[in-house]
Amino acid sequence: MLAEPASPIVADAGGDLVLTGVRKTYGPVVVLDVPELAFRRGQVVALVGENGAGKSTMMGVISGSVTPDEGTITVAGDSLGAGTHHAQEHGVMMVSQEFPLVGQLSVAENLLLGRRPSERRFLVDWRAMESTARGMLERVGLDVPVRRKVDALSVAQRQLIEIAKALGRGPRVLILDEPTSALGPAESERVLQIARECAAAGGIVIFVGHRLNEVRQVADRIVVLRNGRLVADMTPQEATEQRIVFEMVGRDLSGEGAIQSPQADAPVTLELRGLTAEGLGPLDLAVSAGEVVGVAGLMGSGRSRLLHVLMGAIPCTGGEMLLGGKRYRPRDTADAVLSGVALIPEDRKRQGLLVDSSIRWNGTLAVLRRISLRGIVLTPRGDRTKSREVVASARVRCQSTEQSARSLSGGNQQRLIFGRWMAANPDLLLLDEPTRGVDVGAKAEIYHLIDEQRRQGMAILVASSELEELLSICHRVVVMRDGSITATFDRSEFSKERIIAAAAVDRVAS
Amino acid sequence: MSAQPLSTTTEAPLQTRPESAGSRLRELLIGTPEIGIVAAVIVAFAVFAAINSDFASGAELQNLGIDLAGFAILAVGESFCIITGGIDLSVGSLTALFCVVSAWLNVTEGVPVIFTFLIVIAFGGLWGLFHGLLITKLGLAPFVVTLFTFIFAAGLDEAMAVNPIPITSSVFLGVVGSTVAGVPIAVIVLVVIAVVAWFALERTYLGRQIYAVGGNQEAARLAGIPVQRRVMLVYVISGACSAVVGVIVASHITSGTADSVSGWELIAIAASVIGGVSLIGGQGRIIGVVAGAALLVVLRDGLVAVNVNAYYQSMVVGLVLLLAIVVDRLRIIRLERSGKRVRRVAPVSSTELSASDGS
Repeated sequence: MLAEPASPIVADAGGDLVLTGVRKTYGPVVVLDVPELAFRRGQVVALVGENGAGKSTMMGVISGSVTPDEGTITVAGDSLGAGTHHAQEHGVMMVSQEFPLVGQLSVAENLLLGRRPSERRFLVDWRAMESTARGMLERVGLDVPVRRKVDALSVAQRQLIEIAKALGRGPRVLILDEPTSALGPAESERVLQIARECAAAGGIVIFVGHRLNEVRQVADRIVVLRNGRLVADMTPQEATEQRIVFEMVGRDLSGEGAIQSPQADAPVTLELRGLTAEGLGPLDLAVSAGEVVGVAGLMGSGRSRLLHVLMGAIPCTGGEMLLGGKRYRPRDTADAVLSGVALIPEDRKRQGLLVDSSIRWNGTLAVLRRISLRGIVLTPRGDRTKSREVVASARVRCQSTEQSARSLSGGNQQRLIFGRWMAANPDLLLLDEPTRGVDVGAKAEIYHLIDEQRRQGMAILVASSELEELLSICHRVVVMRDGSITATFDRSEFSKERIIAAAAVDRVAS
Repeated sequence: MSAQPLSTTTEAPLQTRPESAGSRLRELLIGTPEIGIVAAVIVAFAVFAAINSDFASGAELQNLGIDLAGFAILAVGESFCIITGGIDLSVGSLTALFCVVSAWLNVTEGVPVIFTFLIVIAFGGLWGLFHGLLITKLGLAPFVVTLFTFIFAAGLDEAMAVNPIPITSSVFLGVVGSTVAGVPIAVIVLVVIAVVAWFALERTYLGRQIYAVGGNQEAARLAGIPVQRRVMLVYVISGACSAVVGVIVASHITSGTADSVSGWELIAIAASVIGGVSLIGGQGRIIGVVAGAALLVVLRDGLVAVNVNAYYQSMVVGLVLLLAIVVDRLRIIRLERSGKRVRRVAPVSSTELSASDGS
């Protein structure tokens, strides 16, 4: 039996990770150029930078999935060769944002993929496998049945499983790529703690994050990349959020994101009275035109579910919905769009984009009928004109509307989806994790877009696991727990502690 | 709106290498694979015609056209299903069934020819709707649902046509027998269907929504596209196309018989795939599908014309299919690579479309 060691988490032998003269180019573009960078044992090093700054390339180079043009990477003096396999043999484990989990397999099978939990040679020892898996889940504080298929889990749960999987292999170097972007406050806290434990046990933790407060909280050292180069290497004391942002984007962004309150006499756009749906409600809520209301809550609290019910993607089972004073009960999403509702979902790639199609196709997807002649004929010119409008209005940076959505950076993809819905000009805009996985600069732009829509009189409902985000862009925050609203805070009463308390009462993580 | 792009700091030169005519041709072929298929059809035809000059004769061309009409119409219907990420295995069995049913209605029941055609096509559409309902409302896999019909319809049509039902109506036989300016009516029907299908897919909102459903069903649904209705629509189209081909086949063999079209569903799928329709969904064009069917027909009839043994015919067709999918895969790998290059370039180039493209 392979007994699960309680601690230390990290394999004991190990040394520093050193990058020397590492350079990577794609065509004429230098995406990474690092003369020298050493990661010390026992440290959590935060790697920050905008999308396209070279973080992914650096992680790829360290984990072996990207072969640098020049330079060497050594772990404890051993030079790493090409390929992820070699890196893994040296204890380099990467927890990526794109979870390479096998959806059709159970949690336990995924956790132990490629490993054998017992000495038996040919048959799978299910019992040993499941108990090992349970041990691994406990370490990340995730409570799901190990026999459940991964397909049935939420993004947040999959993220924790990825982390558990990497920890289970006893990493010397643990790379966490935005590990908390899908998580609520309590789970995020746990992940940060895991990172600290891992470093305390002598490991090297590379933490890539967009939430600067987390970065400052967890890291012993903060390394900033910009355009493929190291621009700053700071201690947490030196690294104020303002300083980090400044280093990342190369200029000062403070002052952006201040919001005005909505007009007092604005009409109510959305009103819910005793709304119920599977796992939801009864809920009462009203959102006025020009108002931004945040929905906070832990994962599984029903945040996304509420938005999906409003979008007609999950049927509502009772209660009343009023949209612009009229009874609203969408049969499907098409109904919702016709009634003036729009949803920007949480998972861009799975729920938002046609990744292999062009920007043009993605941009006009929600208004196809409207831009068609006589409501039927889609002319190439109409399509092109509209897609250019979408790209311009949402400030999507691209070379042509014919390039694929896949070729855009995360922030640009998100703006493209914003543009898609701005073209539809809805009355009610539903946002689910609007800035998940986008960098600081792109975040500011998305907040700016939200504010623009608000000014035009749109009612906006934002669900987010990032409290700072809600506190900075919302007029009001409602807190959900177990499918119901447990508290409402006006802007004047905003307090992180009270919101967390309202979200987590009698659910404190064990 | 003139907000500054926030994350652009350095200028990177756009990749505008001077391109030779050859590399431009290569890029064109990579971007539009249909051109390659059309070229392959022409080359194959020229080779066969050079070996056996009868192959390019008027009568032989008419035969070729009638064979093509059957395969291509079936492939067009099939490609709608494949574009949504589904598949329709029933088209061959349904074609055989409607071949028998149309003969039975017209000959045995004495229904006028025009009404026979309308009834059969409506019946085909309804059968497709039945597929669509099972797929969308019960969430069954298209493969399984249409596999049922594949088996069931084959039995039904053998039961109906124990003896072939000979067709005598000159109007009915005229579908294949008559020509307009030397072109058989069936070929004209093919052209009309292909043009309508092309228009529907590429020039109407419905077509774009069908592609979107195949590209990412969940994204399409959350963008307000009625996914279930679109999926039902494609199976209705495929069923109706099977019915049209059933009528053409009945007219061609001048009777309703059961064993006339075995294996046609696979030819329809092969034609779609050769024509560049991705089995994952979301991609493919009608011109490619028709060209794919044409390539198969030219190979089949051409190999007969130059007296190649039937075994070798199947092997050649199989190899062409393999070649088509391998070439397509290489093309996609190439495209993805260039896509990656674009991604690396995009964030650091300050090409704002609103500025560079604002005409």
